[in-house]
Formats: sequence, C-alpha cells, structure tokens
Amino acid sequence: MSRAPARPRAEPLFLASARGPLFAIHHGPAGPARQALLYVHPFGDEMNRSRRMAALAARRMADAGVAVLQLDLYGCGDSAGEFADARWDIWLDDLATARAWLHARSGVAPGLWGLRLGALLALDFARRAAAPPRLLLWQPVTSGAAYLTQFLRLLSAGEMLREQHARGAQALRAALAGGETLEVGGYVLAPQLAAAIDTLDAGAMAPAAPVDWFALAPGERALTPAIERLVAAWRDAGTPVTLHALREPAFWDSQELIDCPALLDATVAALHEPSHV
Amino acid sequence: MYLDETRQILTDTLFLGARGAALDADSPLLGALPELDSMAVVTLLAAFEEHFGFMVDDDEISASTFETLGSLAAFVAAKAAAMPGR
Repeated sequence: MSRAPARPRAEPLFLASARGPLFAIHHGPAGPARQALLYVHPFGDEMNRSRRMAALAARRMADAGVAVLQLDLYGCGDSAGEFADARWDIWLDDLATARAWLHARSGVAPGLWGLRLGALLALDFARRAAAPPRLLLWQPVTSGAAYLTQFLRLLSAGEMLREQHARGAQALRAALAGGETLEVGGYVLAPQLAAAIDTLDAGAMAPAAPVDWFALAPGERALTPAIERLVAAWRDAGTPVTLHALREPAFWDSQELIDCPALLDATVAALHEPSHV
Repeated sequence: MYLDETRQILTDTLFLGARGAALDADSPLLGALPELDSMAVVTLLAAFEEHFGFMVDDDEISASTFETLGSLAAFVAAKAAAMPGR
C-alpha cells in the first residue's frame, strides 16, 4: 500500500522584526508548496477563541500542498510587545515581514487569509501591496467603526452587568478622542489604534486580486443584505469575488470548542480552484 | 412571536442547544446562564441588530433587560415596534 508522504510537524519559530521577535507557526506541506498563505488573526478574545479552528484549517491546507504561516501580531499572543503598544501600522509592517519570510521559505508569493478584524487588516495590507495577494476572508469585519462600537460595548456591558453606571459607546469614543487609554475585556486599547480602526471601511477597499469570502451564520441568513451590497460594489470595481455562504456558528465568539467542518472543507476546496485572473 | 425569535437567537448565539429550547418567558437569564457574560451580551445585541435591523444604544439597556427571556423579548419587541416604517 502506498502512503501519502507525511506532512512535517508544525514548526514554531520567531521572526525578527524592528520591534522585537514575532512568534509564528509554520505548517509546511510534505512536498513543494503549490500555494502559500499567511494567516491574520482576529482581535482580542476572538483571537484566543479561534486558535483551534485556525490550527485545524492550517493543517488541512498543508495536507493540500499549501504552506501556511500563522503569525502573532506585535503585542498579541506570544510575540514581543504589549497590546497597549500595538498600532495598526506596526501590524501592517508585521504582515510584510512574515509574508517575505513565507515567500522565501515556500518559493511562492503568499496570499493572505484573515478572520474578522484580521480580514480587514489583510484587506488594508493588500491595497498597499505592489503585487496584491489573493485573499481568503473568513467573516470579515467590514466596518471598523461598527466593530469599534461593539468592542467598546464590551466595557459598557461589563459595567452594566456589575450594575455600575455604564458609559455608552459615545462617551467611550469621546474618552479615546481625548487621548485616554481604555481597558476593555483585559485589553488595553490605545487611542491611536482605536482611531485607525475607526476609519476603515471595506466598501472602499476593493482588492485588485481574487477574493474568496466565507460568510457564516448558524441560521439561514449567512449572506446579509449588507454583505451582498458590498460584494456587488467590489465586483463593479473589478474584483473577482467568490462568495461562500455556510451554515456554521460564530466559532470566534464561542467559549466552547466548536468544529466547523463545512468551513474547513469549503476553504480547502477554494484553494484547489486555480487562482483566477 | 418575538419570544420565539429571541429564544432562537439567544440559543444560537450562546450555543445553548436543548437548554435554550426549554426556556420560557419566566426563565431567568442573568445569573442563571453561565454563558451570559459581557462578551455574550455584546454578541447577542449585535445578533439582534443584524437580524431585526434596529440599533441599540447602550443607555437603553440595563441588567433588568436580561433578567428573564420575557424581559429580553419585550425589549426586542419594543425596539422592533419603534423602527421607522413599522
């Protein structure tokens, strides 16, 4: 009986960056890489809650011949820096550093695979890149402002549940605009980072390379009217977008360990499609 | 009608499974469901906003909103009724 060559073990490593070492895990394929993808994690607790799904997907991709690098951005996970010192521009630099490493290692130009706010970061990176990478977007955050409101609401909700006087999102935004640093759910959010997120609108960021967009919802409404409008606008701007609507739970919000097999299958299948363009 | 939709969204959002289906209007939520922490409240409000199309201001809600399934459904019904065009 012939056996497929064993995929090498996932390799933890540190990448040198101007601000200190960045932790990453490289999932290499058994043979030469057909494609390469840099994973861009989401923000705050969503990062921790999605670690397992990201690792499962990375292994599946490596088995399919795709080299994957899972990076911890500056101030996150096991990389250098405190979250309070994290800035959007530093994260864009981190992606460039990691992408260059993965390019050298795999021999192919890496695409970006982002989840939630990581998908918005990948989009922002892609529009600045000289040769725009293909994008895999898992439930991308489309409005930085709406996302920031929800994130700040964590603080309001915590105050509310403790029956304290809850500051509304508007009051918290005003505090940030005044230069105040806020601690939200254990994360110290710098006003500069909040301000950068606040301005981002995926509708104005139509990528110049193919996009696979995975929309998830536990019910039947994975494709919201808002997503359909945005994707139509991107297509009008010339972006080839493949939409994948999946009936899967929001695993990045769950304290339970949840498998989303349909998401893994759809993602790996999308990588088998020749990258159009 | 809002009771059923509220129960469904609560069950999906907090991954309650069969425990969610067993909730009635008088079932206590806050303090009774360990899943209902501040992150869950945020996720739940976002799910309501997305499903019904209304926006919630933080000063509209308090701990009493989340006291029972009935109090939560009543809040959702009031928000939906206040939407323009209804």
